[in-house]
Amino acid sequence: MKPTSVNSIESKQTVEAESKLKKITTYNWIFKDYLFKKSVIFPVVFGIVFLFFWEIKVFHMIFNLELYQLPTPITIVQSMIENWLTLMFYSAYTGTEILGGFILGSLLGWIIAMLASLFPSIGKGGVTVIASLNAIPIVALSPIMNNWFGDGIGSRIAIVTISTMAAMVVNAYKGFQSIDGNYLDLMYSYASRKSQIFMLLRFKHSLPYIFAALRINVSASIIAALVGEFFISSKGLGFLLSDQIQIGNMPLAWSCIVIASLMGILFYNAVEVTERLCIPWKNS
Amino acid sequence: MGSLAKRQNHFVSTLLWMIFLVAIWEFTAWILHSVVHINSAETKWPYFHDLVINIFQNIPVLFEQGSITFGKAAQGFIIGTLAGMLLALIMSFSKSVKYTLSPYIISSQMIPVIGLAPIIFGILRDPDLSRIVTAGYITFFPVTINMLQGLENIKPQQLELMRSYATPSWKMYTKFKIIAALPNLFSGMKIAAPLAVTASVVVELMGAPNGIGVLMLSSLYYGEAQAHMFWSVILICVFIGIASFIFILLLERIITSWQPEFHRERNET
Repeated sequence: MKPTSVNSIESKQTVEAESKLKKITTYNWIFKDYLFKKSVIFPVVFGIVFLFFWEIKVFHMIFNLELYQLPTPITIVQSMIENWLTLMFYSAYTGTEILGGFILGSLLGWIIAMLASLFPSIGKGGVTVIASLNAIPIVALSPIMNNWFGDGIGSRIAIVTISTMAAMVVNAYKGFQSIDGNYLDLMYSYASRKSQIFMLLRFKHSLPYIFAALRINVSASIIAALVGEFFISSKGLGFLLSDQIQIGNMPLAWSCIVIASLMGILFYNAVEVTERLCIPWKNS
Repeated sequence: MGSLAKRQNHFVSTLLWMIFLVAIWEFTAWILHSVVHINSAETKWPYFHDLVINIFQNIPVLFEQGSITFGKAAQGFIIGTLAGMLLALIMSFSKSVKYTLSPYIISSQMIPVIGLAPIIFGILRDPDLSRIVTAGYITFFPVTINMLQGLENIKPQQLELMRSYATPSWKMYTKFKIIAALPNLFSGMKIAAPLAVTASVVVELMGAPNGIGVLMLSSLYYGEAQAHMFWSVILICVFIGIASFIFILLLERIITSWQPEFHRERNET
């Protein structure tokens, strides 16, 4: 009986020691390999110094600016806190436009790319025509969409849809088409049907391309929603931004930018996480 | 011969699609104007041929305002491209600068940089300067990212070859690295070109005295009476965007003519 208990105590101690050691190594890992890495500490220090210089008005002195032209970071945060209810409501409104248009545009683009790759002889020209949508300035779209869908949320969703569609069509089509001929030969040798080739080969192969398009579309959709709201709107971050600039309330205008940027970073990371979940074979 | 036929085939199919879309447009316009009789059909969906006629009637004013907008966007675009190239070179030269700035440059892909356009106009209060600055900094980010990617993704074998010739490091850049990064630079410029035009127009909407954006606002203001003018302005805007894109595309073909995608047809046959 005794030896075993001693043994168990000993083993307990070793386990504790091991876990302690592990803790220390994780500690070291966090500090040495992560926090004190050049690629982390340099940008953090740069960001802090930049904000500090901004706060003590170094940029104002260099570029000869007044406070009403360029507010300091603290006043921006203050105005964010003061107007948090409006900002939250408007972010939700703009967020709905962004998300709705993003999903609709990406889905539509994907369907068009699929149709084009099923009928490549006529589809290729269609893809070229749709790719030219990419080159259309968004400001040109927004008044048209206002004419068609009124000045409600629908017109902005339409703008976001169109500006996210082109990238998806081009990328997904590339993904569907750029398949190694050997894979296709293998599928043909198994006498696979066209639908099977599509589901098992083309679709899976196109996933990285589709996610590349989704990542491009994150900022494209936010830009489209904001620019759409600059034009004719009575709600949303873009409206608030242009409205506050007209009346010269710069801190609130800056808070709109800050929130839109945070939304973009959050959205982008969400897409990246989804990508890692959907394509586990990509980075391994 | 085969490659020529293939290229012609693609061109013909694109052309057919464009004709098809214009036909659909005309047909829809006819239905909305003459069959369904919707309200204010002229503003919502005018006939395409009416717009073409209107553009030819107003070509002097459209050309004048369009070239102002395009000129400012192009100036900003050139400055932004040069600045982006310079920063990418500095970042590839110095590791510390790269570590410091790359998270910010990368996150510029995630944030709506064009949102700063009205703020820049608010700061500068000078329409010409703020159009150039806005177009410039919007060009700057994609160019920097893509150029840096090009400089970083050089094949190690090629670098070793250059090292084995004992190439001095400045010559490494002028003779090899910059040239190897050119295709990436062009893909950055292709992303940036329409955005620069958008930036220029956004500043005009905020209150510049001239340019295509002002024409757009004023024709929108008069509603039904100026509906054709409004649509013509939009078409010109679209035309400027696509033309700037195609211009970069042609420049790419001339300057980086060695790229395999320009010779794909030859390889296949």
